[in-house]
Amino acid sequence: MNGRTRLVAIGMHLILTVWTIFVVAPIGLMLISAFKSQAEIFTKPLSLPGSLNLSAFQRAWNIGIGSFMLNSLLVTVLSVAVIITTSGLAAYVLARSEAKVMKWLYILIIASFAIPVQSVLVPLYQMVSGGHMLNSQLGIVLPYAAFGIPFTTVLFYAFFLEFPRELEEAARLDGCSRLQIFFRIVVPLSGPVVASAAIFQAVFNWNEFLLALMMLTEKSVRTLPVGIYGLTTQYSSDWPAIMAALTIATLPLLILFILAQRHFVRSLAGLGK
Amino acid sequence: MLMMPRMRALVAAATLATLAGGSALAQDAVTIKMWTLDNTGYPEFIAQAAEEFKKTHPNVTIEHQTFPGDPYKTGLQVALVGSDGPDVFFNWSGDDAKRLAKDGLALDLTSYADAPGAFGTTVGSGYLDAFRYDGKLYGVPADAVSKFVFYNTAYFAEHKLEVPKTLAELGTLCKSIRAIDPNTVPMPLGNKTRWKAIHWMTMLNERELGVAGTAPDYDLSRPADALYTDAGYAKAFQDLLDLQDAGCFEEAPNATDYTVADTMFSSQASPMEFCGSWCISGFETAGFTDVGFFRLPVVDGGRGDAGANFLVPEGFQVSAKTAHPQEAVDWLSFLVSDDQAAKFVEYTKFMPSNATKIDTVEGVSPLFKALAADVATFTQGVNVLDVLLDAAVSEAYLNATVEVLNRTMTPDQAVEAIRKVALEVQAKAAS
Amino acid sequence: MSHSSSRMLDRWMSAGMLAPALLLVGVLVLIPSVLAVVGSFYEFGITSQNWVFVGLGNYARAMADPIFWTALKNNIFLIIGSIITQVGLGTLFAALLDRGVRRGNTFYRTMIFMPVIISSIAVAFVWILIFDPNVGPLNAVIKGVGLTPPRLGWLGDPNISLYMLLVIAAWQNVGFQMVLVLAGLQAIPKELYEAAALDGAKGWRAFVHITLPGIRNVLMVGTLICIIGGLKVFDLVFVTTGGGPANATQVIGSYTYLQAFTLGNMGYADALSVILLVVALGFGWLQLTLSRRG
Repeated sequence: MNGRTRLVAIGMHLILTVWTIFVVAPIGLMLISAFKSQAEIFTKPLSLPGSLNLSAFQRAWNIGIGSFMLNSLLVTVLSVAVIITTSGLAAYVLARSEAKVMKWLYILIIASFAIPVQSVLVPLYQMVSGGHMLNSQLGIVLPYAAFGIPFTTVLFYAFFLEFPRELEEAARLDGCSRLQIFFRIVVPLSGPVVASAAIFQAVFNWNEFLLALMMLTEKSVRTLPVGIYGLTTQYSSDWPAIMAALTIATLPLLILFILAQRHFVRSLAGLGK
Repeated sequence: MLMMPRMRALVAAATLATLAGGSALAQDAVTIKMWTLDNTGYPEFIAQAAEEFKKTHPNVTIEHQTFPGDPYKTGLQVALVGSDGPDVFFNWSGDDAKRLAKDGLALDLTSYADAPGAFGTTVGSGYLDAFRYDGKLYGVPADAVSKFVFYNTAYFAEHKLEVPKTLAELGTLCKSIRAIDPNTVPMPLGNKTRWKAIHWMTMLNERELGVAGTAPDYDLSRPADALYTDAGYAKAFQDLLDLQDAGCFEEAPNATDYTVADTMFSSQASPMEFCGSWCISGFETAGFTDVGFFRLPVVDGGRGDAGANFLVPEGFQVSAKTAHPQEAVDWLSFLVSDDQAAKFVEYTKFMPSNATKIDTVEGVSPLFKALAADVATFTQGVNVLDVLLDAAVSEAYLNATVEVLNRTMTPDQAVEAIRKVALEVQAKAAS
Repeated sequence: MSHSSSRMLDRWMSAGMLAPALLLVGVLVLIPSVLAVVGSFYEFGITSQNWVFVGLGNYARAMADPIFWTALKNNIFLIIGSIITQVGLGTLFAALLDRGVRRGNTFYRTMIFMPVIISSIAVAFVWILIFDPNVGPLNAVIKGVGLTPPRLGWLGDPNISLYMLLVIAAWQNVGFQMVLVLAGLQAIPKELYEAAALDGAKGWRAFVHITLPGIRNVLMVGTLICIIGGLKVFDLVFVTTGGGPANATQVIGSYTYLQAFTLGNMGYADALSVILLVVALGFGWLQLTLSRRG
């Protein structure tokens, strides 16, 4: 009996270990390839680098990975801030109103959650272009916000529905307005759901590709995904530099994640509730 | 119905203006907004030219923006329809440039071309013709790309290999290389993004049918019952398959990225590659100098001309919406003037449309000069299929070529598929 | 009196609080959707100035377009495949981490979750290198053990490449599903298991009778995320196969992009968008009814 439980335990570890290796191997390949020379990558795909060569990192850095990261950071922070603020305000009103029109508005929000960005790519592009906001950070922050709001509103809505109303009633009796109640009572107690939404949207917008590809074409405003995609345009086929660029782009986020993974995972898990 | 696009733009502008708080900067001086690809050396070339141009046109500021290849076409088209487009922009000669002319988005430059010092006087007429539609000029050709078979001269010398004179000899050459080492890929194709093989078909069609033989099919002017019925088209596909059977290409060429193919040659793992004139800078970066080249050989019994070779002129067009057409043309004429054309070569290593001073350019490799000299001897330029053809026919050609290489279509089926789309497009244009 | 004036104030304030979100969504999501619907009744190119009204012509064209059906089929394949692989494996790993293994839980969880935060473009590049038929490590291993890799390449043969897309998607997303399920599992009161154990229900039976009902909602959310993701998929296909060979791996997203921006058939692309939109709204409606029932 004991032997059998042991065997089962080993089996379970084996399953998890196999998947872990499967997950880590490509990341390892990316790291190792960044240190190889072009010829080494292509002629000895399975070997370690012949020497610890950092030149690929230098070439990748010179392409502008640093500024791509800064752009991504700026766009992500701004859009997440807009999403959280506007969705929080809207979801609270929607969750607390009995009016019929509010139900319809909520359904409209859910409907917009289902609209894929490709569906509106052309009109959206023409609008941003017509508004002279191509190649500007604001030009991409606003669509990012607009497409992030529906999901976040739905998430907040569910949270606010379960929020204990007794606290709010007490504040209302003290003469607080709806806005005051929201900021003094509700916001301070909404930390976990805000963190969930913020992290989810941040990961999503940090990695967004399609809109950024269409709207951020100027090199100085490109975000990471478009910047990375641009590494293999017509004339550069520098695979070590591509892998080095991917490493530079990925590693800070990975380290941040590993350090803060407990909060990270707990926050994202809140989405499923 | 005519109102629709404008209404869209209006809704767009109005709604966004309210969001952004609307800002319009009034400027006294003339600003020319220029869009190009972000090719190596381009930003630096334009920057120095803009400085130089200011000496004669102190009120003109050039605002240069660069784009990666794929989103460029889309972004350009949308921007030209909208209100925020560039004044002057890079474009390839061919279907795209023609469509812009047809849709009234590109400015007719005919009346500007022949003024003293203007581009019409410095650029050869062969180049100018690439941007001429219905007898009017719609672009300023700046350069051209060509394509050759590059080979590793050291490898050829070591194994006593000869440059082939016919396509059949090229196949034999591949077999000899495989005989030396079966793992050596003689000439990697790298067709994952589909344009590498379409470049092959461009030249193979020419080698089988000749430029005159293909032209009426390409521009859909041949009567419907004869469109794409020439046996040469299927033969050209068969030529490609024969080379594949001779072991010329790598495994699964349709799944191999062109960057991998390029690297296989420049890292000297493969002794040959059919590559563009733009590939030279890649060889130089890799420190690979033992490079020779030859044109894709002719076919025995083909109607092609050994003097004809792959040539895609590219250059600049002016937006029909520009507020400063004269300054825009002045600027473009300046870019293709003798001195600037030489600078252009220095910065970009591209084949210039005005080669008057190419010998004065420093830092250009002998290979580049030899290539430029060879381009000058072409009897005819062969424009590339995916740029030249109507977009839908081009898409059909790209896919058919992939399927032929995958052996999921025979050459005859491929030509039939292309003919079907060509007939649809032809019928639509007539209605 | 004061009560009603404060209600007025409340109403204005509510409107003010709703306005920013509604304005953004309205202007940048809903108006463009309406424009797409309008455009789908016309035939026009990206640069052409005159629109030709074709009524339902673009929709009729889609119904007769074999590539449209291939694309739709591929979307459905990816949806079903990702539900099986991602929700399935995610649940398996979560169950193992929650009640199976005692040591290394945090390590496994961190590692398996890691790919979620990597950009899908970066992911695609690494996998392109892995799957490369000539220089990729996968083929090197396969040949090393004496097997023959696929003739057209891992990403070049439509019968294989769709499964490879599932592999890449699973690599990236299983961790996310795992974390969702894990949170659901941890919310199940331990007493339930203890009570069941007293009744003789352990192991597999406890899983079926306690665990699965307990995480029903979480699995529903996970499945919906897969459905929405499968409908919206673009990046992965665009960068790895480009929809090829010969449109065999096209999905609605990439096919719309091709029609709009490569072929310049904007009206047709709008119609494809609207079809996708209707399907997506259908699933949105499903989510609404299901969440209401929950």
